[in-house]
Parts: sequence; structure tokens; C-alpha cells
Amino acid sequence: MDIFYQLGDIIVKLFNASGLTSLSWENYVMIAISFILMFLAIKKQYEPLLLLPIAFGMMLVNIFPGIMGNPATQLMTFQQVQAAGLDPASYTTTSQLLTMEQVVQQNLNLADLRPVLMNDGSQFYEAVYYNVTQNGGLFYYLYQGVHLGIFPPLIFLGIGAMTDFGPLIANPKSFILGAAAQIGIFITFIGATILGFLPKEAGSIAIIGGADGPTAIFVTSQLSPELLGPIAVAAYSYMALVPIIQPPIMKLLTTKKERSIVMEQLRPVSKLEKILFPIVVVVLVAILLPDAAPLVGMLMLGNLFKESGVVERIAKTAQNELMNIVTIFLGTTVGATASGTLFLTPKTLGIIALGLAAFCLGTACGVLFGKIMCWATHGKVNPLIGSAGVSAVPMAARISQKVGQEENPANFLLMHAMGPNVAGVIGSAVAAGVLISVLK
Amino acid sequence: MENLGRAFTLLLAGFVIVFVVLVLLIIIITLYGKIIQAAQRNADKKKQLPKPSVDPSVTKKAVTDPAPEQDSEEIPGEIIAVIAAAVDAVYGSKPHHIKKVKRSGRMRSAWGNAGLAENTRPF
Repeated sequence: MDIFYQLGDIIVKLFNASGLTSLSWENYVMIAISFILMFLAIKKQYEPLLLLPIAFGMMLVNIFPGIMGNPATQLMTFQQVQAAGLDPASYTTTSQLLTMEQVVQQNLNLADLRPVLMNDGSQFYEAVYYNVTQNGGLFYYLYQGVHLGIFPPLIFLGIGAMTDFGPLIANPKSFILGAAAQIGIFITFIGATILGFLPKEAGSIAIIGGADGPTAIFVTSQLSPELLGPIAVAAYSYMALVPIIQPPIMKLLTTKKERSIVMEQLRPVSKLEKILFPIVVVVLVAILLPDAAPLVGMLMLGNLFKESGVVERIAKTAQNELMNIVTIFLGTTVGATASGTLFLTPKTLGIIALGLAAFCLGTACGVLFGKIMCWATHGKVNPLIGSAGVSAVPMAARISQKVGQEENPANFLLMHAMGPNVAGVIGSAVAAGVLISVLK
Repeated sequence: MENLGRAFTLLLAGFVIVFVVLVLLIIIITLYGKIIQAAQRNADKKKQLPKPSVDPSVTKKAVTDPAPEQDSEEIPGEIIAVIAAAVDAVYGSKPHHIKKVKRSGRMRSAWGNAGLAENTRPF
């Protein structure tokens, strides 16, 4: 019969340790959301490189929250250490003076404690505790790259090594569209302030409008690290959902005639111009806005690797291996910050809503400036390229291409949209520098 | 209220700073782009001055046929050579000479469109 009791005990223990008893309804909601995101990534192919790791990290942390658990030090008595099957010699000790009441509360054996008589005659007992350290979960350690702001500049290095700034150099006016799309950031800052967020929090929320995940993480880690989770999830989710969010705004703000505009071919850009570009940009931006230097510096370093042509191996590593490794760590750990109990709160939902507003405003401002440029150039600029000014590279440029081609299948806006798109990366890094220097 | 005032100040300051930095970049990039283009144009002209003579028949033809006139937008020498070779391949032994090479328009050719379509199909 004993064997059945033991079996029953084991089953009860396993059941109690399983997610079926420890998970709350919020976790189940987040697991369901992660399934939807995985569906969008796999079936609809909405930026699967980002969305898949984010969704999987989200699912994993809501099934097993311990994977993001912080490392902790627990004080254990000699008996507790032995009962846990640990070696007491492996741990440092801490002694504490306890009153008789505390001894009883902690159910300690008086024979194990050294009595200490104080000068005022009061009696204490010295207990020796072992500092038993528990390691954090796997994602806790991987997340340090996000928390300490290391991954965003590394991602920027990879982006720089993959980006061709040729369209921007050929048509420097694209910078205007890259700047215009950043207006959404500053308008959302006001909205967040009105809704009662503190200035630093409002700055971190507003930067979501730049549609640049690494920049959003970098700014938030500097201004309000406690909001890193929801802001990172919002920024990356909106970047991945660019194909859903942007087209309705672009179509709403432009006429069929404007969307059909065929732009002139860009002039060829020489190698020397491409080599000088990253050096010029980093010198100017880092001098004017030192807080933007880590992002812009790494972006331009990656680009110089590519354009110089003398460090091909390094350029390829930055474009492929390094970028992919950092993307895996960043995506999964960002997703893992979306633990149901922490995520489904009114404040977080407010951040998600404001982030969406910032992103939509950025897109709208870009398109509206595109319309102004269209008018100023007597119809030579297709306003659709303005929406690419939000820096989600290259998704936003692809959307300009796709929406333009819906009106005129012979229209190729991709290279024209890449100009504002990469200008948006620089613009959002500059906006980040402004927010950090003013609010920090 | 104080926060709101600060927010409006930041809106204005941020907007102005971002635009100023990017406008500065526009100016610098446009300037150095023009300088480099001018320098390269000069270098190309210098390169085109000495004409290597290889085959006497070719030299003779080159002397009899005046150099084709280029349009103002500076079509590179290599492109002119390719066009001349293509025309020569079509006309063969028939007497001919190229008077002018002129860009027909800013629209892409059918080949250009096909190439772009091929490269942008996944989007």
C-alpha cells in the first residue's frame, strides 16, 4: 500500500509544481497573445525575425516565470542547509543576534545557538546563517544586455553594416522626412504628461514613436528602467506590425494621384562619398549631442566597416553572426519581460496605447511633410516615402513601395523611401539624445 | 501644470534641435557631394585626354569618325564605349557613325523595370 501512497504523493507534488496551479489568468491571457503573435510571424510573415523570438519569450515566461527570476541570497540555518542536501562548507556565513521570541518564531533549536548576555542584562542568542545564493533564471542573465543598454548599440552596429546610405546621400533632402517623422515623439510626450506620467516616463513612452526598438530600449534604460519591459515589447511589436498600422494612415492622408507619382531616378553615389558619410555624421552628431553618440557612433562604425571595403570579415560578422545572436537574445528577453501579472496593468496598457499613438503620429507627420515636399517640388516627390521616416528599417520603406505599387505597378519607390528610412534612424537617435540630455 | 509647461518646452526644443541637426547634415552632405562630384569629373576628363592607339584600322576609323557628342549630363566614357560597340555590332560593315549620345528620358527601360521587379518581388 505504501507504494501507492508514495506514488500519490509524487503526483500531488508534480501537480503543485506545475503551471496548472501556479499560473494566474493574466499568464494565460499573455500565452494566448503570444500564440497570436507567433501566428502573425509564421503564417503572415510579419517581421518573423523579431516577432517570433518575442512571442516565444513571452510564451515561455508566462509558462515558467522563474526563467526571468532574479538571483537571490537566502539565509538558511545549518539544519536547513543539510535538509536541502547542500554542502555548508560551500557558503559564507552571517551571524545574527536573536531574542527568545525570534528563536521561537523561527523554530530554532536553542542548543545550536550561543547565548550572549548584553551589558544591560538582556539575553540574546547568536544564530549562524549560511548565505545560500540561488542563481537567476536563464533569461535574467541574457536580459542584462538589454537592461544595461549594451544590445541596442550592438544592433545599431549590425544595422550600420547592412545599410546603404546611398539613397540618402543622393537625395539629402530625405533628412527632412526623417526629422518630420520624429515629431510624433514630442507630441506623444505631451500626451503622456497630460495623462499623469512623470517626465522621464513620458520621454521613454514617447520614443516608441521613433519605431526604433534599440533606440527605445536605450532611452528607457537611461530614463526609467522600470518601464523597460512594456516599452520594449510595444516598440518591437509596432515595428513588426508596420504592415498593418501604416498603410491605412498613408492612404487616408494621400490622394490616388499623389500615390501614383513616379519619382526621378537617383544619381549614382561615389565610393568616396559613402566612406565620408559615416565619419561626417558621427562627428557632427556626437559633438552636438553627446548622448546620442553610443547609438549613432555604432551605427556609423558598422557603416564604415561596410563602405571602406578593407575589413570585409568584420563587416560580414557585424551584418550576420553578431546581429543574429544579439537579435535572438534581445527578442526573446524582451518578450520575456511581458509576464502576465506585471504586464496586464492599467499603466502598461496605457503605455501600449500611447506607444501606438506615437507611432501613428510619426507616420502621419512623415506623410504630411511628404505632401509639403510634393507641393514644393511641383509633384516630383511621392508623399508615400514620408511614412518611411519612422525608422523601422527596412519595413517602413517596403510599405512605401508596396502602397505605391498598389496604385501604379510600374512605380518603384523602394530606393527613394530608403532615404527617409535611414534618415529616420539618425533622426530617432538624435531625438533620443535630446530626450536623454534634457530629462536625465 | 509645471510638467505640462516643461513638456511644451521640450516639444519645441526637441523639434528645433532635431531639425537643425538634420538640416546641418543636409548642407554638409550636399556640399561635400558637390565637391567630390566636381573633383571626380575633373579626374575623368584628365583620364580621357590620352587616347591609346591599338589597331591602325581602329585608329583610322576613330580619326574619320568624330567623337560622339554627349549631352550635358556627362555620360561616362565607359557607357559611350558600350553604346558604340552595340551600334557597331548592329550595323556591322555598313558605313555609320555616332553623332550624339543622349539620354532618352528619366524613365527606366524595360530591362531596368524587369531587374527592379525581380529584386523587389518579395516585398
